[in-house]
Amino acid sequence: MTIRMEKQADKLLLAPEGRLDTVTAPELEKTIKENLDGVTALTFDLADLEYVSSAGLRVLLSAQKAMNGQGEMKLCNVNETIMEIFEVTGFSDILTIE
Amino acid sequence: MEQNETRIKLTGRIDSGNVAEVEQEIFAKLPEDKSASIVLDAEELEYISSAGLRMVLRIKKEFPEFKIVGVGSDVYEILEMTGFTEMMTVEKAYRVVSVEGCEVIGEGFNGKVYRIDGDNVVKTYKNADALGEIQHEREVARLALILGVPTAISYDVVKVGDSYGSVFELLNSKSFAKILAKEPEKFDWCVSEYVGMLKKIHGITVPEGKLPRIKQKFIGKVERMKDLLPGDLGEKLLKLVEEIPESDHMIHGDFHTKNIVLAGDEVLVIDMDTLAVGHPIFDLVSMYNAYVGYSEKDPEIVLGFQGYPAEVARRFWHKSLAAYLNTQDEDKIRAVEDKVRTLSYAFLIDWATRHNTADEETLSLWKNNLIALLPQVESLDFETDLSEGKSRNELEIEASVEKLQTVIDFVNSQLGAIDCPPKAQMQMELAVEEIFVNIAHYAYAPEKGNATVRVEVSEDPVMVTITFIDRGIPYDPLKREDPDVTLSSEEREIGGLGIFMTKKIMDDVSYEYKDGQNILTLKKTL
Repeated sequence: MTIRMEKQADKLLLAPEGRLDTVTAPELEKTIKENLDGVTALTFDLADLEYVSSAGLRVLLSAQKAMNGQGEMKLCNVNETIMEIFEVTGFSDILTIE
Repeated sequence: MEQNETRIKLTGRIDSGNVAEVEQEIFAKLPEDKSASIVLDAEELEYISSAGLRMVLRIKKEFPEFKIVGVGSDVYEILEMTGFTEMMTVEKAYRVVSVEGCEVIGEGFNGKVYRIDGDNVVKTYKNADALGEIQHEREVARLALILGVPTAISYDVVKVGDSYGSVFELLNSKSFAKILAKEPEKFDWCVSEYVGMLKKIHGITVPEGKLPRIKQKFIGKVERMKDLLPGDLGEKLLKLVEEIPESDHMIHGDFHTKNIVLAGDEVLVIDMDTLAVGHPIFDLVSMYNAYVGYSEKDPEIVLGFQGYPAEVARRFWHKSLAAYLNTQDEDKIRAVEDKVRTLSYAFLIDWATRHNTADEETLSLWKNNLIALLPQVESLDFETDLSEGKSRNELEIEASVEKLQTVIDFVNSQLGAIDCPPKAQMQMELAVEEIFVNIAHYAYAPEKGNATVRVEVSEDPVMVTITFIDRGIPYDPLKREDPDVTLSSEEREIGGLGIFMTKKIMDDVSYEYKDGQNILTLKKTL
């Protein structure tokens, strides 16, 4: 997995590419933690995300919990495979998906 | 007898009538040195009153290293009632068993095995102070049985002459050595059962620290004998042994046909005191020694030891090795045999020089063979296949997150044979990750252990079954409550998602705990 990041003032865009699994999720979690200070709009661009397991979902959920207190979080370009996992787990109802 | 130990025999009755006299007698025999260990032998003691017990306490006060042994049941009861058994070491008397006139059914380096009646055998030890050995063998046999090796466990320790023996229940048993000697038509059957048992043992992963690492023992042997070899061959030998890969798999350590018995219709392994963990070559070495190595100079030795001629022993070794390696390719068999012989000669030379058990001629034969082999042998490792060719759909691997990719690659390679739609493949990958990671995180924590992953594909309709087996703490993940997917993000808990997803994307998930194993089975119809 690689993470593309764009940060402008209080806006943060993160685009994890490849597999977000047990092995790679801690990396995304660290990136989020290090860059979330003062962010009011967090966007995940999932266009090139191929795979997400529960470890990845947990990172997204903690990001959502953090953003609940400081702004808004949304996901965009969610492909069909990933969308299905969000639906199965009820994440499609608790995350803002564009 | 241990150094600095004083043994005093107590006889008859000790009560207020004679205690003063007895005490005087005893103290006259006690040494000056208060750190000496004192053993009161109560084998012939019939009764001891509280006056006698007070005397015992006075001795113990002066000599902290103190114990009472050979205590009969009447006296033991008194000691137990008065709390003495908790204050000091009290060893019960052992049942006395006579082996006079009993049939010898086995004989090894350390002792003999006698049949004392139809159902029971007693294993005696040459070493007079064998209690430690007996205890050790009992512990490892119990461990082996729990891990799945069919074996006999001694249920009693008895006194035999000046030493001790352990008693086993062994109905109608005969060793493979006897079968080979008396029923040559069963040769092939023996090879197949023998090799099957060896593979079973080698397939068992032993939890860390439970058994010694046999490689260390061999490094010690080579260090002792390497200077007998010319030039730098000794150093090369040591390097070869040091480079043998470590392994947590079980090794019997003395796997020859006298230690495999047919009891009723069950095949059992006995003589477990050499149990260890390590590379399979170490068992092959004990086999080569038993069938060929020891008797290489004098073929009569194997006849005396195993009861069948050297020709049978060589054939049995060769066929067993071929079956163990799953090959008929003589070059392959020879290549492994050369590795085994290299280590065998090192073992034999060290053994013979330490015990002075071989003549000069035999010793130089072993030495010359080793010198001829060493320049050609570049590694003592070789490929093993414990699967008997049928379980290539199984992977046993250390349960750690680092191995996740290997597991996923393995499952995908198994699915490669069928036309699996990418979506279903990804779902299975997801389930495999969730379950394997769960095992890696929780099954053995904080220790480490292995997991087995098996993939089965059945046709019409195409159904994939993936089974995970671990020997960790019993845990049924299906009992975990599903997360409430209707809650808001503030209320949603972070955990519990993996198994929930697995249940959603697979058609069937089931769990059972059997034979000390957590078995989780996932099914999906394509």
